[in-house]
Amino acid sequence: MDLECDVLVIGAGMAGLVAGTISSNEGVSTILLRKGQSATAYSSGAIDVMGYLPDASEPFSTPSEGLTAVAAMLPLHPYSIVGYSESVQPDTVVDEIVGSARAAISWLKNSLRDTIAPLIGSFDSNISALTVFGTTKPTCLVQETMNSESLQDEDSTLLFAGFAGYPDFNPSAAAKVFLEDRIAIGLPPRKVGRCVLKLAPFGKLYNLSSIEIARHLDHGNSIEELAKQLKPQADKLGATHVAIPPILGIRNALENKKLLEELTGVEVFELLGVPPSVPGLRLQMALEGLFRKGGGRLLAGHEAISYTKNGELLDAVMVRTPRRRMKIKSKATILATGKFIGGGLAGDENGIRETVFDLMTVTGTYHSAGDITPSRFTNRVSITPSSQPVYSCGLTVDPHFRPVQEDGVEWSSNLFAAGSILAGYDYSSEKSGLGVATTTGYIAIRKAMDFLKGVDLK
Amino acid sequence: MSDSEFDVVVIGGGSTGTAVARDCAMRGLRTLLLERDDIASATVGTCAGMISSGLKYRNEPDIMELCSEEVVHFNHIARHIMMKIPILAPLLDLSDAASDSGYIDAYSEHAEEREVPAMMFLTPEATLEIEPMVHPDVIASVYYEEFFIDPFRLSLLQALDAINHGAKVHTYCEVIGFEKTGGEIQGVVFYNRITGTTETVRTKLVVNATGPWAHKLARMNDSKLDLRLNKGTHVILDRRVVNVGITARALDGRWVYLFPHENTTLLGTTALDTWEDPDRLVASFDEIEYLLQSIEAVIPSIRESRIIRTMAGIRPLVPDWKVSEDKVTRGYQIVDHENGMISFTGGKLVMCRHMAQDVTDLVCKKLGVKAICKTHEKPLPGNEDDVDVESLSVEYGISLHTLERMRARRGTDIVKILELTKEHPEWKTTICTCEPVIEAEIRYAIREEFPQTLNDLRRRLRLGTGPCQGTSCTYKAAAILSEELDLEGDDFLVDILDFKAERWKGIRPSMRGEQLAQEELAQGIYTCVGNLDQSDVDYDLKPWEEGA
Amino acid sequence: MNEDEAFEYVKGTLRSERITPYHPYEIEVVRSIEKCINCGLCINHCPVVAAVGIDRFSGPRSIAVELSRSPPEYWSTADIVYLCTGCGTCREVCPKNVDIPEVVNLIRARIFKHRPDLVPKGFYVVQEPLTEYNLAFQPWEDKEEKSESRDMRLEKLGLPYVQDRVLDKAEILFYPGCQAEERAQEVREAAKVILDYFDVDYTLLDEMSCCGLPARLMGDDQTARSLADRLKKKVKKMGIKKVVTTCAGCTSNLSDLSYYFDWGVPTVHILEFLAEDIGLQRFGEDMANSSRLSPVHVTVHDPCHLIRHTSRQIMDYALEILREIPNVRVTESEAYDSCCGGGGLVSYHSRDVADAVVKENIEAIQKTGAERLVTPCPLCTAQIENNLFKSGSSVEVDDLTVFIAQRLPKKG
Repeated sequence: MDLECDVLVIGAGMAGLVAGTISSNEGVSTILLRKGQSATAYSSGAIDVMGYLPDASEPFSTPSEGLTAVAAMLPLHPYSIVGYSESVQPDTVVDEIVGSARAAISWLKNSLRDTIAPLIGSFDSNISALTVFGTTKPTCLVQETMNSESLQDEDSTLLFAGFAGYPDFNPSAAAKVFLEDRIAIGLPPRKVGRCVLKLAPFGKLYNLSSIEIARHLDHGNSIEELAKQLKPQADKLGATHVAIPPILGIRNALENKKLLEELTGVEVFELLGVPPSVPGLRLQMALEGLFRKGGGRLLAGHEAISYTKNGELLDAVMVRTPRRRMKIKSKATILATGKFIGGGLAGDENGIRETVFDLMTVTGTYHSAGDITPSRFTNRVSITPSSQPVYSCGLTVDPHFRPVQEDGVEWSSNLFAAGSILAGYDYSSEKSGLGVATTTGYIAIRKAMDFLKGVDLK
Repeated sequence: MSDSEFDVVVIGGGSTGTAVARDCAMRGLRTLLLERDDIASATVGTCAGMISSGLKYRNEPDIMELCSEEVVHFNHIARHIMMKIPILAPLLDLSDAASDSGYIDAYSEHAEEREVPAMMFLTPEATLEIEPMVHPDVIASVYYEEFFIDPFRLSLLQALDAINHGAKVHTYCEVIGFEKTGGEIQGVVFYNRITGTTETVRTKLVVNATGPWAHKLARMNDSKLDLRLNKGTHVILDRRVVNVGITARALDGRWVYLFPHENTTLLGTTALDTWEDPDRLVASFDEIEYLLQSIEAVIPSIRESRIIRTMAGIRPLVPDWKVSEDKVTRGYQIVDHENGMISFTGGKLVMCRHMAQDVTDLVCKKLGVKAICKTHEKPLPGNEDDVDVESLSVEYGISLHTLERMRARRGTDIVKILELTKEHPEWKTTICTCEPVIEAEIRYAIREEFPQTLNDLRRRLRLGTGPCQGTSCTYKAAAILSEELDLEGDDFLVDILDFKAERWKGIRPSMRGEQLAQEELAQGIYTCVGNLDQSDVDYDLKPWEEGA
Repeated sequence: MNEDEAFEYVKGTLRSERITPYHPYEIEVVRSIEKCINCGLCINHCPVVAAVGIDRFSGPRSIAVELSRSPPEYWSTADIVYLCTGCGTCREVCPKNVDIPEVVNLIRARIFKHRPDLVPKGFYVVQEPLTEYNLAFQPWEDKEEKSESRDMRLEKLGLPYVQDRVLDKAEILFYPGCQAEERAQEVREAAKVILDYFDVDYTLLDEMSCCGLPARLMGDDQTARSLADRLKKKVKKMGIKKVVTTCAGCTSNLSDLSYYFDWGVPTVHILEFLAEDIGLQRFGEDMANSSRLSPVHVTVHDPCHLIRHTSRQIMDYALEILREIPNVRVTESEAYDSCCGGGGLVSYHSRDVADAVVKENIEAIQKTGAERLVTPCPLCTAQIENNLFKSGSSVEVDDLTVFIAQRLPKKG
């Protein structure tokens, strides 16, 4: 049976969920299509806003500073798009750009306050977050379970704790990397240690995954048992802090952290981890919860495959489930299908294409990407601050976040795009992924709702 | 045995060099093998692993006979690292069949000794039932069988067996000169890249088994050696996409193939005369297209399969010029420079043992040693017996598939690894999820098989060779290596960057389809979360990474 | 050797190398599985991993990226692939929708062929009646006893008996599936009550035969295909327009078959039929007149074969249908869409795994405070009912079709 709604959001990653939550909270009937889970679900769970300019070697000390630089230097960056709106005066362009991102990030932080993924941090400072590699990275917000702020104290001592048979984190390698780094830059702590704990959710001390440990810690008196092992190790080293991989629980992570701290007498925090990450899962679950609570309808296992247009308006989207098809009519649609992981973009030797509407794709410098050879848009060096240009490909949009065609005119007046499907930035090297997703989702849905209210988006 | 006096120094740790070291050691010679990088890190590391019946060289009956004999020997000494593969050559028009039918007789002549059937014809219906991906307009197909060997393990096992017989094997030792008296080599000077020191050893003879670098090494010894260097590129597809091997005429009339190999499929190969530095070699867009378009004629849907990477290597052919590459003999030549150095040109993987036997005969003759070759009689390590992985799986509590893959690398030696898990059950943990590889095998390899880097581990274990190309195992394995070798934190990060660089070298030229998503994920892990693009470790750009 | 002998020879080599060539329709599955980027997201959601851990069941990621790569080695996956319940959670959360449940069937089919000794012995309990009677269960020996059992169930549930009918030119084929045919007869009867109430032009098969799903799940491809062909021929011959079934497994399997083998006749679950063909409005209006509506507090379980193999829309219909029945209060269970462990024939050889999987459901159901659980799948019904009983719970389980039929007004 076909469905109808005011706003249809395609894609349930950060951008789509932010957009959908805002519209459903405002009483607009919203349907969200989730083909599969997104890159958000296995992100580290931290919200990067702006860490580095392309090719730069120094991080921004605050997201606000980063956004100011973007506004001044990267006119094609998704953050900069709001500045092109006719309503924005030339002398307030930078303020508008920085302000819109600030508003979006603060909305996100407030919204997630009472969920399983509460955040700390602010737009006015970048956090130097520790990762499972022992490295640090600049990010704007982290989940409260990852709070390591007091580690900056002169007399802090850090213990890295891993688990036997859990390969995703090696405390010995991380401790060495971290200590060498600290010594090099001359910042505390100058004493670190490591230990290996034993947890056996299924009675075996090998082949442990993050999710198994996290579930285990959510139940029974497993935190008490963990504390029993951890405390002597922390005491032996004289540790003030313990860094553990991101496995503190799914629904009770923050309570678990507090309990563990209480029982051991040291501060415990989670490191930023790699996929499949538990904090990413917490973030995804929390966001989906917000969306549902707002009255939005989430259709899992539904993939947008084609569309019908009525004149210049997008009329309906054809949707596929494993063995059924249906049509969803909507008044406005947000396209937030992600990049190559999410499947919003696909590429072969003949070029990069957008997968639902076959919209025009461009490179990071806004040249056509429809006929590029992806390998030619890569760097010889794999891991480099110069990034891999192919990941800056995507859609180009008008100031109202509507994808435009070759002639510069929007493809349709009621299709908006947000998130990593947008061209003009590489989230990995910039450290800007979920920040761009949040901000563009936040703005695109406002534009879409303006459209529904009949505001002239010229 | 003295650490600085040898009868023979073998230079080059490829399939031939390791075979020579093994043969020399087995014949009681004081032997040293010097390798600039790692065992099987260059030419042999980029070959398909086919130990062919010599089908393509039917104009050289001696070569075909030699190939056939060697297949029989390998089946005897290295059965545990071999696989038989059934092959179809689909014919799409009659001219395919008519143009060149002599190979059928040539192939079939030695089929019996290899215990494979004579070449036969199949109907279109039978062809399509065996391989539904073949073009529906096929009119018939030719069927035959060939053998594959794991070229990395072969080279490594030869090196390990050489060590077992008293040889010394030094990897990461680059020869930088020779000590000579009266024009005769007396010693070899090399730079040890691990210790950063220069060392000299005395030797009576030097065997130059450096493949595409042979002419350069000869020049270092003031000798002239001609080679015809020829680039060969493969495209590697994820998993076994075809049920059987497929061979077909390429766009230019050469033969190309699509072979299931281990748990990937290899599409190869190109043949381009090259003067490029072997260290900078990467696959080109043209080569990838040539291979895809060539095989597309018989497997029309090939582009729908996932390409995971490419690999490019150099054939050091004998210097026949003014003929096309496929007319150059696949035989080898042994060149005695008569100044203490003996060099190889030409040859193929399947002949490596035979080349070693020939050169060792010469070495023995020159040294006045009477000893006969036994390399074709004595099994390589691990080939002692059958392995019952089903009962091992129960006994050690490790999944059947993990053990079956390990068996394919190690034969009977698998038990040595499993024994480690008795004391360290946590080492049963899977590290590389694609192949798969468990921690115990990584630790064992680090302790017993002298790897220095993650790339060396990859060659020994197939670590990081699956569809994700090390996305999820690189940092895990690097940490283990770092622990075992007691490395510093920076070295741990450099290992990750090195491994990523080598994988990227092969991924980048063919990047398309799901590999775009795969690399987005890898960038997400190492660049976005790890922030390794901003790491200030001492990372040296690789030769292929240099330049604009 | 002539060409025929040559083909026989080659087949012999393929057998000894343990290669079964892919069928053309399987290539689509292989292509799908190639899309895996080893992100591991599926592991966070797999109910079997949650229940028994990665070491016992290495999980969907391992199936995609490791176990399905080399057909000659498929036999060596036998300690893992039989533990997959085929729920499809992995495919649904996967950013690439990698078709893991199908590749599991493909691998099981190879093991069945090349290493029958590694196929769980428990499967032969199903295989025997399948090959002998074309049914997943041993049919009743005594037809009288079967009718008596049916009547007892009907009486207990307060359902009328509607005569079986086999018509020549009906619009709709009602296909109850093996479980409802031989065991849970009340489901079959309830569907007839509903179809009869709405004057649907339907027929039963002259002789019931299995859709082949159990054979497919155990890897017996040949039996699966012969059963599917048998059914296809009948359906084609009868000239019906649509198949309606009460079984979640049959819904998804017949939809699959229709997709892969061009049946040209859609199969829908009776819930879809009620929502789309009868119409919720008509259903609701009639329900409002029913006199059999004592208040009841229920919770719902979504069968994997409907939501993840066919469409989540079907369970949205289920909720809308429940909303149209007066006096029904629905409380959502936290694990409403989590696999009950009853799929993939896992319980036939590893009951401990199946029961570990259902634990989460049992706890969540009890938390709802509902007095009844309703679900539109006879297999889920049995699995959850058994385990609720074992846990000492007083929550009763109804097949949703029965639940609806019980509440319909009397006809006429």
